[in-house]
Amino acid sequence: MRTYLEFALKKFQNKMVYRLDFFMGMINTLITIAVYLCIYKALYGNASVIDGVTYKMVATNFVIALGLSQAFTFNEMFMQDKIKDGSITNEFLKPVSFKLRMLSENIGEGLFKVVFHFFPALILTCLYTDICMPKSFANLVFMLLSMMLGYLVLWLISFIVQTWSFWLFSVWGIVTIKNVFINILSGSLLPLWFMPRPLKTMISCTPFESIYFTPVRIYLGQLSGMDIFKAMMIQCGWILVLYLTGNIFWKQGVKKLVVQGG
Amino acid sequence: MEHMIEVSHVKRYYKVAKREQGMGNSIRHLFKRKYEIKRAVDDVSFTIKKGEIVGFIGPNGAGKSTTVKMLSGILYPDDGSVKIDGFIPYKQRKQYVKNIGVVFGQKSQLNWDLPLIESFELMRYIYKIPMDLYEENLHQFTELLDMEDFLYQPVRQLSLGQRMRGDIVAALLHSPKIVFFDEPTIGLDVVAKEKIRNFIRYMNQKNDTTIIFTTHDMQDIEKICERLIIIDSGKKIYDGSIQDIKNRYTSIKNIKLILEDGRKEMRTYDTSKKPMNQIMEEIFRENQVKDISICETEIDEIIRDIYEGSSRILSSEL
Amino acid sequence: MGELRIALQSLKMSIHTRLQYRVDSAVAALAVFIRESANIIVIYLALLKFDRINEWNVNEMLFLFSLLFLTYAFVVSLFADLRYFSDTIREGRFDRLMVRPRGLLFQLVLNNADIIASVGHGTLGIILFLVSAGRVGIQWNTGTVLYYTGTIIGGVLMQGGMFIIFSSLSFYFVETGSIRDIFYWNMRKFAGYPISIYPKVIQIIMIYIVPFAFVNYFPAQYLLRKPDMAQYPEIYMYLAPFAGIMIYFLAYLFWRFSVKRYKSTGN
Repeated sequence: MRTYLEFALKKFQNKMVYRLDFFMGMINTLITIAVYLCIYKALYGNASVIDGVTYKMVATNFVIALGLSQAFTFNEMFMQDKIKDGSITNEFLKPVSFKLRMLSENIGEGLFKVVFHFFPALILTCLYTDICMPKSFANLVFMLLSMMLGYLVLWLISFIVQTWSFWLFSVWGIVTIKNVFINILSGSLLPLWFMPRPLKTMISCTPFESIYFTPVRIYLGQLSGMDIFKAMMIQCGWILVLYLTGNIFWKQGVKKLVVQGG
Repeated sequence: MEHMIEVSHVKRYYKVAKREQGMGNSIRHLFKRKYEIKRAVDDVSFTIKKGEIVGFIGPNGAGKSTTVKMLSGILYPDDGSVKIDGFIPYKQRKQYVKNIGVVFGQKSQLNWDLPLIESFELMRYIYKIPMDLYEENLHQFTELLDMEDFLYQPVRQLSLGQRMRGDIVAALLHSPKIVFFDEPTIGLDVVAKEKIRNFIRYMNQKNDTTIIFTTHDMQDIEKICERLIIIDSGKKIYDGSIQDIKNRYTSIKNIKLILEDGRKEMRTYDTSKKPMNQIMEEIFRENQVKDISICETEIDEIIRDIYEGSSRILSSEL
Repeated sequence: MGELRIALQSLKMSIHTRLQYRVDSAVAALAVFIRESANIIVIYLALLKFDRINEWNVNEMLFLFSLLFLTYAFVVSLFADLRYFSDTIREGRFDRLMVRPRGLLFQLVLNNADIIASVGHGTLGIILFLVSAGRVGIQWNTGTVLYYTGTIIGGVLMQGGMFIIFSSLSFYFVETGSIRDIFYWNMRKFAGYPISIYPKVIQIIMIYIVPFAFVNYFPAQYLLRKPDMAQYPEIYMYLAPFAGIMIYFLAYLFWRFSVKRYKSTGN
């Protein structure tokens, strides 16, 4: 456990070397959020509530979902690069789990971006836009917890797609397409309240809702009491399903690598 | 004979950011950086005649590549001047570089995914090489370097040695008067190295091409160069023939001993300070010797000795 | 003439490279197409609910977007190598260009043309144009066709000029990707929508600093005449094709200056 914590910290620290990256990443997040806030302000026009959703709620959705989606990015070509240059076999010789190392490094990077890109952007956004406060302190706590579960869902989906690099020449295309699905269906680009009904029903059967929309709904108090518990159980369910799926691909991939000698 | 290359009192300094360890320092580093001045090239002068082959050596970071960069027109010197074939390289770039070829051993200019021939074609257009010269050179070079077999294979499938040969051809197709080789044999096997060395010698003899090359391989130096320039910490510390430097070391002998009890020993003696017979006498008096061999100092060793600055006899003279 | 030969050979090499991995190239082009469609899908879905954004309907929005994609399809082939210019410098490939007897910028243009992205963006741009051009009430005649062609060329040069400026910054700073991300990519995100929806500051940036407004907003206004044009000087619609040429020229001057400085400071 200590080793993996060390990996995460190391990554966190490495990110600090480029000071431009630090300032710019924050502005990057800020601007991305701003674009969508402007679009929805214009779409709302003079209306105050549409389908029971206020502009303030939409703004909150974007600040959290879009802001986090900016922070929760990592190098998704990592496994492919390791496989292509053959260095993955060296990784197997090390006394640490490759998967956990990958996860902890990604978390370290994510943490850096949350602290140095997301939080400052969040504070600056609040200076020019009104966003909803959390329903209650408990909601905030549950939201943070649910956010971490959301991260795991996001990471595991990426992990599954990355394992396909054992078979494919390049996973770049698939990773890109996957991210389009995540961005649209998780509500980070389009608040899920406004999705056409059939699409909305479909999305509720996928893990995408669990990534950002569940934490947002907990924060806003659209879920409370037992519903929060239920939503988080669904998140955990997806984590389990995705973890098992990912593991199957991973094991098969490693087997293929060993049999064919890379 | 007229000088092809004249370098006089060239200086080149860099500002280097200092990086410190630790979390606190990383955070501080985000906001403020410290710099220090590094004297990459510090008052270097030399001249090279047309048709000379000069080996340019020095430890890593000695200022070799910075010097080569100034000679090839990539960098201005901070002070001093460079004049090559009547041009000031860094001021008349486009005109000047038509006459030179540069081979970077570690930076290929070949297109990774395509056959060599495609990259060569590009060179033909870039250097406006007349068709007959292009074909003549291509034919001759590929024959000399034994490349016919892999001219039409994607570069990514070639071995390092094959790729290096491709890079050399790409840099020489326009028949440059001066060629800079930057570590052309790095990482190659003995056969490939030998091919490249032969080729370099041939180019020099046949076309009277002036050649400067940097290397870490002393075999390259011994087999190709007449002249050697050594720089260290930005300063020129030796400039002269290989033979000369070897002569200065002829008095240094390495004596290998195998003793009765099986121990092996390696000793270095300076015969200018102590006559050989006295050395031998001492050895045989103090040891039970089973076998003995006396060797000249290898050029590798001489160079290492010079780099280390602990020159046993040359320190004052160099 | 010689320049044209080099350009053609470079382009040929870029295409040959991609043709070596046919399936992968096709998947990648599709991926670019889908990735770029995301914004379109999002605005389309949003307009299903909201109908209009500052008086612009769906088709007009698609037309506005089409200009962005069509121009970028050219930009990404012509100026592709400039996107990785900081790597080019760091890995010493720029030094290689300097020992060749040709213009430095010229050697970068068309080198490693990103055919994949061109196909992805280009296809999307064409589709959006075909879907929207007939439904937004533009009278297509000699005048409008000429204007349209002019804005496409201007838009390409405008963005090429921006690429050149950002690349030139690599001569001064180690890490310039982020600056480019902010000024180019983020501003491009703004550019998908009518600039009138943004706060004044952003509008000013989009018109005068990173002048994307001249790539799609003002040209679209010339052809569509939406009411929100009233807040800007009318002349901007006519300037659109020329703004690109001007920016490209300024960019070229800055590039020249920066190369000179690079030669004197190294990296």
